[in-house]
Amino acid sequence: MPLARADLESLLRTRRLDRTLTTALPPLDPAGIPDEYVCAPTGHTALDARLGGGFPRGHLSEIVGPRSSGRTSLLLQMLAAATARGELVALVDALDMLDVASADAAGVQLDRLLWVRGHVVTNPGLCRDLNQRAVEQAIRAFTLVLQAGNFGLVAFDAGEAPADAIRRLPFTTWMRLQRLIEGSQTAGVLVGSESMARSSSGLTVKLGIGASGFGIRGTRAIRFGSRLFEGFDVDVRVIRARARAREDATVALRTLAACGA
Amino acid sequence: MRNVTLESQSNPESQIPHPVFLYACLYRPPQSEPARASLAVIAQEFSPRYECHRDDLVSIDVSGLERLLGPARVIGEELRRDAASRGVRVHVAVAGARMAALVLAHARPGVTIVEPGGEAGALAPLAIGILERLDDVVGADPCVPPSQGYGEARQSAKRDGSRPGPTLRPLVPSLSKNERSGQARGSAPPSDAMVETLSVFKRWGLKTLGELAALPSADLASRLGRQALVWQAIARGDDVRPLVPTLEEERFESSLELEWPIEGLEPLSFVLTRLLEPLSTRLERRDRGAAVLHVLLRLVTKDVHARRLELPAPMRDVRALRTLALLDLESHPPAGAVDRVAVVIDPTPGRVLQHTLFTRAQPTPEQVSTLLARLGALMGQDRLGAPATVDSYRPGAFAMMPFATEHDDQRRTRGTRREQDEPDAARSALNVVSALRRCRQPVPARVTIDDGRPARVTTDRRGFVGGTVVSCAGPWRTSGNWWADRSGGTDRSGGTDRSGGSDQPHQTYPPHQTQQSYWNRDEWDVALNDGAVYRIFQDRDTEAWFIDAIVD
Repeated sequence: MPLARADLESLLRTRRLDRTLTTALPPLDPAGIPDEYVCAPTGHTALDARLGGGFPRGHLSEIVGPRSSGRTSLLLQMLAAATARGELVALVDALDMLDVASADAAGVQLDRLLWVRGHVVTNPGLCRDLNQRAVEQAIRAFTLVLQAGNFGLVAFDAGEAPADAIRRLPFTTWMRLQRLIEGSQTAGVLVGSESMARSSSGLTVKLGIGASGFGIRGTRAIRFGSRLFEGFDVDVRVIRARARAREDATVALRTLAACGA
Repeated sequence: MRNVTLESQSNPESQIPHPVFLYACLYRPPQSEPARASLAVIAQEFSPRYECHRDDLVSIDVSGLERLLGPARVIGEELRRDAASRGVRVHVAVAGARMAALVLAHARPGVTIVEPGGEAGALAPLAIGILERLDDVVGADPCVPPSQGYGEARQSAKRDGSRPGPTLRPLVPSLSKNERSGQARGSAPPSDAMVETLSVFKRWGLKTLGELAALPSADLASRLGRQALVWQAIARGDDVRPLVPTLEEERFESSLELEWPIEGLEPLSFVLTRLLEPLSTRLERRDRGAAVLHVLLRLVTKDVHARRLELPAPMRDVRALRTLALLDLESHPPAGAVDRVAVVIDPTPGRVLQHTLFTRAQPTPEQVSTLLARLGALMGQDRLGAPATVDSYRPGAFAMMPFATEHDDQRRTRGTRREQDEPDAARSALNVVSALRRCRQPVPARVTIDDGRPARVTTDRRGFVGGTVVSCAGPWRTSGNWWADRSGGTDRSGGTDRSGGSDQPHQTYPPHQTQQSYWNRDEWDVALNDGAVYRIFQDRDTEAWFIDAIVD
């Protein structure tokens, strides 16, 4: 009997069956080639390379950063890349701040974008609960879109939402949304000034103003015929990643002003 | 005799008797008195397989009726007697080919019987002008292959001992001209093409159908085209297409009387499910989908609360239909308790969906329409859709279009993408287009000017702290609609963003500034010391400053 047990242990060791309990499953693409059925590429070559192909599908990811850090620019870039792949995308815009001209300039195919405009206001006055209700309503809309399924990318933009309205949401909200999106082909993206989903998120990237600073035209030679703002440099840092992307990876993005923007 | 026995032993199929096809045709000649009964009613009495070509012409598949009534002549006499008892005087023809029966019913009064195989001989002496009267029945049949008509296929099927099956049945039954145009289904004048073809036949010296049948098919087709082969097949007594049975108009309606009135929507959902499930089954059986869903609620006040839902795509999924009906009732609730529920569906041909392995799955129209209904109930119908740009220089102007439930399939082709989007793709692969976040209601701001440029921007608005301007660019002067009345009067130049048809946006923004209103302002982009970059503007009329957008 002891001999038989030793044989069994040896066999287990040989077949490495214990690895299934202690390590993650091997990636679906053993060659390491980014697969757009696993990730939603952003369309930015350097960023996709750092993220291991893009934002993971079936996960709730986050784009966080302070105001004017390029969050919206990156989000529109992702939407443009997704619509160029023929996917349907949805944007739950909690504060109704999408600039349609910017989206068009970024290359988003607008007829493939389902835009849900929220009621969150930046100045609720004495009605402090107004924004709370509006955020909850926007979350319900986000949930409905995720439940519908088969959207390539679904984004929840609360970038300018009051922080207290976001913090007062039950933490289980994000767990529930993560469970909802798991196993689907949808990439969920939350946009905010600070991390919302935290441990529920699949990938969190933090955006910040790059070291090169602003490129406002006022410091350069004025060129007539172009618009006011020229762009800025943004540093993108991966601060949480469940798979593929390496944490603390940093990428520098350069935003350019679109014609007419 | 011995050989036959051996053959029958070696080939079991030869023991099966060949089916005998028998078709009857009823034709009601023009008469002064209106008919008291339709020919379809008479046909229903004899066979469920009948086809109404016109109000005065119907063909019936009477195969197998011999065992019940007797030989073909008895069947023909029975048909004529039944019509006469209903006050309808008809020509009856019974033949082994449907088209032969149709021609003979037009040509000969009373009862005409043709033995199977003798169709060509019976048709041969008829004048060729008879084809004019069948032009609207035959029409241009797309199902006739160029080299082999249905008649030949049927003959070969006869030889094989098999009945013409679904493979020979046209995918889209060819409709007569009257059916296509939806006109009254009476005899129509011959088409110009038919008149021209007949004139060609007459110039060739053809007078009878027998002479037309004797022409070589290949030469006839090379001179007059495929349609001439159809006429020749008719002259030879061959069918150009199988009989397509006429189905009765089915009404998809279901109702339920409630013992106790219902007040809430939740119990109503169970009632709707119970009503919709059999309707869905019937729709599926008929390969139909719901185009319009009518929900009729009779209230305890004896009023009827009627709702009509036009569905974006044909659907018969019970859950989707029930959800849409409930969401609609949620936004338009009945005024009282409901004691009778009725559901009526306007049917439409079902949607054919072909999936592919190479493209990503998208939400089905049912899913999208349900999602839009749910979102509309939650957020309001004006808060969702697809954005669209408008032909305007007004900052922040856009339009909302209804989000389409069906989209064209997938990405553009590789060649097109390479040709058109290569510069854009290369640019986006390296850089990102900077975007704005629009404040739909511009935020009032206090701006300190130093040397003609903004030096400090502050607001009272929570979340917009403001600060010292680190750098700025501007001004960019923009104005528009200065030719219109400043109070927002009608733009007499007729300038609108879009016009016409389904592309018309259902809402344009900013809502507080109509497209005809006037604007005149100086824009600046300012970077503040807290890291934020704003687009601010000064209204040149009021000299007030506002934050218009955030560069992000």
